Amino acid sequence: MLSCGMRRSLSWVAPVLAAVLTGCTPGGDGTVPSAAGGPRYFGSVRPPRGNVLRFNNGAEPETIDPALVSGQSDGRLARALFEGLATCDPRTLEPRPGQAARWETSADGLTWTFHLRPGLVWSDDVPLTARDFVWSWLRVLRPATAARNASLLHAIAGAEDFNRGTAPDSSRVGLSAPDDTTLVVRLASPVPYLLQLAAYPTWLPVPRHAVERWGERWTRPGHLVSNGAFVLERWRQNDRFELARNPRYRDAARVRLDRVVAYSVDDLSTSSNLYQSGRLDWNTSGYVPSPFVPCLRGKADFRSAPFQAVYFYSMNVTRRPFDDVRVRRALNLAVDRDAIARDLLKGTRAPWGRLTPQGYPGYPAPPALGHDPARAREFLAQAGYPGGQGFPKISILFSTSEDHRRIAEAVQAMWTKELGIPVELRNMEWGSTLQATTTLQYDVARRSWIGDYLDPGTFLEIMRGGDGNNRTGWSDPRYDRLLLAARNESDPAERLSLLGEAESLLLADGPVIPIYHYSTVELVKPYVRGLWSNALDTHPLEDVWIDHAWRPGSRLAAERRHGPVAERMVPLLGHRAVQALRPPAPAPARPAASGPGAAAAASTPSTASHGPRRP
Amino acid sequence: MTRYVVRRMLLFVPTLWVIATLTFFLMRLAPGGPFNAEREIPQAARAALAQKYGLDRPLGVQYVTFLARAARLDFGPSYKFPARQVREIILEGFPVSAELGGWALLVALLAGIPLGVIAAQRQNTAADTAVMAAALAGISIPSFVLGPLLVLVFSLGLYWLPPALWEGPQSRVLPVLTLAAAYVAYVARLTRAGMLEVLRQDFIRTARAKGLPERVVVLKHALRLGLLPVLSYLGPAAAAIIMGSLVVEQVFALPGLGRYLVYGAFNRDYTLVMGVVLFYAAFLMALNLLVDLAYAWLDPRVELK
Amino acid sequence: MSVSTSAATVPAAPTSAAAGPPRSLWSDARRRLACNRAAVASAGMLAFVVLACFAAPWWPGLADPAAQDLRLGAALPTITHPFGTDELGRDLLARVLYGGRISLLVGLVGTLVSLLVGVSWGAVAGYAGGKLDEFMMRTVDVLYALPNIFLVILLMVFFSRSLLMLFVALGLVQWLTMARIVRGQVLTLKRQTFVEAARALGAGDRSIVFRHIVPNTLGPVIVYATLTVPAVILQEAFLSFLGLGVQPPDASWGTLIADGARVMALFPWLVVFPGLALSLTLLAFNFMGDGLRDALDPQDKQPGR
Repeated sequence: MLSCGMRRSLSWVAPVLAAVLTGCTPGGDGTVPSAAGGPRYFGSVRPPRGNVLRFNNGAEPETIDPALVSGQSDGRLARALFEGLATCDPRTLEPRPGQAARWETSADGLTWTFHLRPGLVWSDDVPLTARDFVWSWLRVLRPATAARNASLLHAIAGAEDFNRGTAPDSSRVGLSAPDDTTLVVRLASPVPYLLQLAAYPTWLPVPRHAVERWGERWTRPGHLVSNGAFVLERWRQNDRFELARNPRYRDAARVRLDRVVAYSVDDLSTSSNLYQSGRLDWNTSGYVPSPFVPCLRGKADFRSAPFQAVYFYSMNVTRRPFDDVRVRRALNLAVDRDAIARDLLKGTRAPWGRLTPQGYPGYPAPPALGHDPARAREFLAQAGYPGGQGFPKISILFSTSEDHRRIAEAVQAMWTKELGIPVELRNMEWGSTLQATTTLQYDVARRSWIGDYLDPGTFLEIMRGGDGNNRTGWSDPRYDRLLLAARNESDPAERLSLLGEAESLLLADGPVIPIYHYSTVELVKPYVRGLWSNALDTHPLEDVWIDHAWRPGSRLAAERRHGPVAERMVPLLGHRAVQALRPPAPAPARPAASGPGAAAAASTPSTASHGPRRP
Repeated sequence: MTRYVVRRMLLFVPTLWVIATLTFFLMRLAPGGPFNAEREIPQAARAALAQKYGLDRPLGVQYVTFLARAARLDFGPSYKFPARQVREIILEGFPVSAELGGWALLVALLAGIPLGVIAAQRQNTAADTAVMAAALAGISIPSFVLGPLLVLVFSLGLYWLPPALWEGPQSRVLPVLTLAAAYVAYVARLTRAGMLEVLRQDFIRTARAKGLPERVVVLKHALRLGLLPVLSYLGPAAAAIIMGSLVVEQVFALPGLGRYLVYGAFNRDYTLVMGVVLFYAAFLMALNLLVDLAYAWLDPRVELK
Repeated sequence: MSVSTSAATVPAAPTSAAAGPPRSLWSDARRRLACNRAAVASAGMLAFVVLACFAAPWWPGLADPAAQDLRLGAALPTITHPFGTDELGRDLLARVLYGGRISLLVGLVGTLVSLLVGVSWGAVAGYAGGKLDEFMMRTVDVLYALPNIFLVILLMVFFSRSLLMLFVALGLVQWLTMARIVRGQVLTLKRQTFVEAARALGAGDRSIVFRHIVPNTLGPVIVYATLTVPAVILQEAFLSFLGLGVQPPDASWGTLIADGARVMALFPWLVVFPGLALSLTLLAFNFMGDGLRDALDPQDKQPGR
């Protein structure tokens, strides 16, 4: 039959074509040989016209109001538009002076005094004073604002009561602004990492005059007033945000980008395609499809660093059989984290046996949970289910995602095989999974937690008895006591060791099964400078600039001529044919324009004539 | 005729009411509320939110308030994106979906009608099979396969077209082709069926007997009636295209209306879902009315009652 | 994405103007069908596919579709794995066959549901006429205006995502056009003399509708049913793309294709094989449906052209 015949012949071409077209040819075992022979970069490396950074910010942010921000994409924009008392050095994550020029702490660590720089203004020339900070933070704490991250301000004396509604008004909150440039913060207990917190979106100031005038709609372009490196020029829902330089920024001379375009693309493959075809300069972490990672590892624009987040499963302790600690231990020991990380995640993330991530200097981390099927079986037998007999059927709940499903399937297979227990999978969409975990309607659920600041406390606090983020029904008074003691401890080393004790208790008896440690995985074009990967995945944009004088190595001039993908067709069809097939490319930049002349050449966009889709 | 139109339009209101009620209660029945999140909101904050959006009032009151506001075309702010009004979101997203759908429909008609005519004229020959197979290939390849395939070839391979986003005329090409592929088949098939029907009629035989060239017979006499099935399909087709564009919008990251429906359901964004459903329903009914009118105008045998 | 046939054109009653010995509608149809090579080949292919998929548990040497081999990962086709393996090392051939069972089951059961509901509804409405007819068809209109994919999404989101729910949800959105077609048919048929005769013989209304009229509407109903199956299967594929279709570790062609399309550039066989399976099956159904429509069309007086 004609139609069948046609399709059969086409089916042969497709896999070959696909293999040729991408820079990745899979080997027999699904891994990829090193990129020694392949193109060095992933896709086109033509810089954009002008000083504009284009990146994918991910799913459309719910809001860019710093008080209400709770996700990565919201936070990135909030931080570009607003600046707090301190900022983070992108390489070392050390706090740097931001709107505050300097600060002092009292001897007991409970009172901080911040001195703002003189002459600070909002982007509409309204002066910015210490009272703006006080007003903004009180706004966050006010119950009516319903800020999700208000708990990050609970370190301030009286803040928690005010936020929970148990205090009649805000007069008891430990904030005061004796004059325009002095801000005094009184804490409930010592917080050594306060400066880190100060860089977090919830602690950023908002323009009182704009918020009071426009109400909920103050974040729209035209209404929004910022004090950070950029102002909001345009916002199209589910499409993009366009930011422009803020000439009133306190350090405006340092900012080299004229514009920033943040796209709101939530599909990973699409994001990757945009990057590959040269329409994005930076593909942010979380938007690189994981099957591509083994292939991208060898490329020069691939960047990866450990990220402050842990992926784990939580067990619902209010349900049989999870109320028995031996069952919990058995389930934990039967999971082969190394196999998951190595075979399933192809080494893109580290297997992890603790709740707190790595990277806390001075933290005495307890030994991690491991893989010991024999002991797991012993525990299970002790609990009364030898060989898995009589064990009720349990379900693993996860939200719709490729990665979650694969891991859940692997864990299901491990438990079934090693312990002999019946396990089923439950896949619900995001809203329903949240509901189920919050109301304790699940057996085992996939969870993850991202650290807000560099301290193990941000991970251990969620497992406190009764905490809203606990969602397992587990509570242990010893654990809670340790956390409370740590909170009130002013000696940092002592505090960390108390937290370490708490965590070892959690790992031995608790309801969490850690699985892997997140890494940031991002793609950055070689002509983008000033962007570094760090554990908090925070990227201040004021240091970023586009290097128009960047050139690939001379042996890759051919890559420039055709683009790395079409270049692979050259061996098949020959140069002429490939040339004829594609629209004529502009002549490659003259390599003679290097050295002192390069700066002048870079500012004129003549060399990098980036038309709509001409390579 | 005016009486017919008025009568039809009067029927809009009860229909919309039924749809609004159905969706309202369905949304409320689904587990989970709009303010769940990975991070817990303190109790006081939840209460404040519930009060602000009127969720703490009894269901009946919520329903009546909703209806009253909907009548004024005010759907309130979206729960998930509180800085935006639902009406605004719809007005921003609809032109994109409409443009995408319009082009896709046009392409489907321009490609499908000739294919159908050819197939009808050469019924049961190899040409017929070939044409129908090519058209049917469009239905058989889901758009979430065709889209990435086209992107792979034309965008990442040949660098001719952008792989996503809705900026500039080149970015229209791939999404429109992906979406139109399925509908070419339907249009072709309907044209073929309609033409087959018409070509058998006596008046065609008369025209041929009069010695008119085949081309004139087909194009001038047969086509007008042969296209009637296509026309009657246009209403649901246009609607289906706008809905089917959901996947295309996802793959190509287009800021259209289709996504809001699904994401609204996932996020329990009540206001947005209600707004989009009602808008869509009204649009579809208006479209059907137009199609029926056009049908009556084209085919004098049909009577409007 | 429901298919609408030329519902507006109602086939006229068969006349007795055919030359030659009298033939029944069915033998006529069978002969015409037999001469339509495409349809015959399609039927054969479908039979093979259905057999292969439903007999999957008994194929000797077929791998277990749930057996993972994490070290192997996604591998190109070899002798042991004729279709290759997926990212978890599961044999793709086995998954395609088992997936076919589910997809075909979804298609068949969904169509059956829509058949039962649609035929009954349309027959009753058409036969009863008057106010009941008006009300029933208005309901159909209202439900038509509700975006059906949305209804399916809501149902899947709200109720658990069991296979049964999927069948019911998909079937429930397809019955509308069936009802319209059947009603149209019944409207014509009920004026036929044989109906009057039956009434004169004392047959009750219900018996007339279900024993006399409905069997005569079978022609278009069969055609439409054959065309609904691929539409349902395709809709399930779309739902899988959104994550609402069949749940793991079961897989249908839809989930296999949706997953494969995401890594199409790296592991193309993951989308090619299930895609071919799906596309060929859909093509076959469509060809058969078209062939049946041509065959059952009483107006085509030229046998086997």
